[in-house]
Amino acid sequence: MRGTNIGRLTVLGQQILSGLATGSLYALTAIAVVVVFRNTRTINLAQGDFAMIGAFLGVVFLKDWGLNYYATIALVVACCMLLGIIVERFVMRPIADSDWLTLFTATLGVYYILHGLAGWIWGRDTKAFPVTFDPTPVDIMGAVISKGHLFNVAWALAIGIAIYIFLKHTRQGIAMRAVTDDPDTAQLMGIPVRRIVMLTWALAGLLAGFVGVLIAPILYVSPQMMDDVLVKGYVAAVFGGLYSIPGAVLGALMIGVAENLAGGYLGSHFKTATAFAMIVVLLAFRPQGLIGIQKRREI
Amino acid sequence: MAMLKTTTGAADGERLAPAARRQAVKRLQATFRRHDLLLYMAFFAICIIVPMLPFFKGWMASQASLVIIYIVAAIGISILTGYTGLVSVGHGGFLAVGAYTSALLTKYFAVDLAVGLVAGAIMSAFIGFLLGAIFLRLSGAFMAIGTLGFAFFVGTVVNNVPIFEGRDGISLSANYFFGSKIGDFGFYYVSLGVLALTTLFTYAIVNSGVGRAFMALRDSEKAAEASGVNRVNYRIIAFTISAAITGLAGVLNAHIVNYISAEVYGDIWYSVDILVAAIVGGSAMLAGPYIGGIFVVMVPFFFETLADFSSILKGVVLILVLMFAPAGVAELLGRPLRRYRERQVMEAAGKSFSKAPSAGAGTTSEAAR
Repeated sequence: MRGTNIGRLTVLGQQILSGLATGSLYALTAIAVVVVFRNTRTINLAQGDFAMIGAFLGVVFLKDWGLNYYATIALVVACCMLLGIIVERFVMRPIADSDWLTLFTATLGVYYILHGLAGWIWGRDTKAFPVTFDPTPVDIMGAVISKGHLFNVAWALAIGIAIYIFLKHTRQGIAMRAVTDDPDTAQLMGIPVRRIVMLTWALAGLLAGFVGVLIAPILYVSPQMMDDVLVKGYVAAVFGGLYSIPGAVLGALMIGVAENLAGGYLGSHFKTATAFAMIVVLLAFRPQGLIGIQKRREI
Repeated sequence: MAMLKTTTGAADGERLAPAARRQAVKRLQATFRRHDLLLYMAFFAICIIVPMLPFFKGWMASQASLVIIYIVAAIGISILTGYTGLVSVGHGGFLAVGAYTSALLTKYFAVDLAVGLVAGAIMSAFIGFLLGAIFLRLSGAFMAIGTLGFAFFVGTVVNNVPIFEGRDGISLSANYFFGSKIGDFGFYYVSLGVLALTTLFTYAIVNSGVGRAFMALRDSEKAAEASGVNRVNYRIIAFTISAAITGLAGVLNAHIVNYISAEVYGDIWYSVDILVAAIVGGSAMLAGPYIGGIFVVMVPFFFETLADFSSILKGVVLILVLMFAPAGVAELLGRPLRRYRERQVMEAAGKSFSKAPSAGAGTTSEAAR
């Protein structure tokens, strides 16, 4: 009797741990969604596709070019940043003064284009990512988590800390937050708003690059691989009211854990529905986000 | 509008002359409305006659039906997005609700297509009502994400709940409309009928007090509420109507190929395509969804062998439209006609009557955004 109880607890711990692992990848997507939204009023529907392109590039670099894993990550991240900058410069900047619906729809156009490009170049079939997900179990205080998951968590944590330091302590990061608070005042203070906006998109590309490479071994690579992840990233971003990065991260981790628990205890059918049930409940009762940040400058 | 004119006229102190001008402007606008009506009637006459010509094959009728389905769905979303200013990225969800309602009824009770249409619309309207009530406090970007979540939710449900038969899909027998079996052509005419009724209904709504309340909410929620527009009620009404119309499109979409599966409805592509149709065409104009629907269906049709290329092309066109004709292609194409009409209205109103042009323009064109 006692043994089974302990067994149950361990299973619960494992469910939570692997939920946190998936959640940390949602968190990276959610951070990108929040950063782009608060600096440019744009809900970036192409965020997932940046990562998708990154995953495909990862396959190319690893398989065809024979690069090693870390060189691939660096190259993929650089390419995704470039992609973000290109999108900003040639799509978003010409319509930067439009209402948010126009901005949003433009990213929808980018979504179409990237989906089409990926399908055209690499085909619609799913591809296996050359680096396989490492299922070797690692024991953490009784709960077992796979090495691959642990690896992803470590990466996500490192990136999260790097972004925190960047936003809090570097000139560019502080300028970025100034643009978030009030673009006009930031402009008057001599902050090059345009360049900061471009940097914002580059940051979104950077996060997407990491997500693409880290998630590819779990998901298989295909043009629509990221659709699901992206929506969970949005849901997580809404947890922070689309403004708060800590709120978004918290939301992402909660979604990861909740859907894993639902999958474990209610059946795998319920796994995907959990995030959407959460968003409906959240939006119905606390539209301003879980972390009660008021939507600023909204008329 | 009329109130505004009367007050300015009274302020000018010339009561008779402005009254006559107002009469002239009203007559002119009535003429324009008549012309518009004639144009639509001519369009539908052509749509009725063309399939009777000898060169017209069954597959063309199916393709045309598909275009009509998208037009109807885009009209549905335009009520919400174009006229009420609430963006939905989840209308594929309503399409699925309509489609599955009718498909299940047909499978288990062998109902008529007419019954399926009514049931699909009612079911979809009900879900739309619920969603409108749930998302009462949302606006802008939050609404977009919420509706996107709804579409995914519907996709998950049809994928996993056994009665919807997931990816195996539901196969349906032939379509019966009021008891008689219909083929490709019959289906086309049914779709055309649905489109005509939807268009008429939308026209009536947009030009009624309800439509004006929608547009007031779109232009400024606070000002509308201050003028006594009940935001809650009208938002729910907009959601319900919009969902019902898109549900109709969903029913047609299920019966056009007599097969539905979660393979297509579990995705967000329908939602995205419907939104793109409304935005490319122009979501705040009656003619917008027509152009958008044709665009969204015909681009993949012409590049059938190059599905990915058509996706790229759609994206590029969408971005170009946003850059150069943000109010939609219909607005761009209709601009010369509207300019001409505005000039006429201005002349009829007289040059000293400086308030007239903008007021007149507002009533002749629904494209004010």
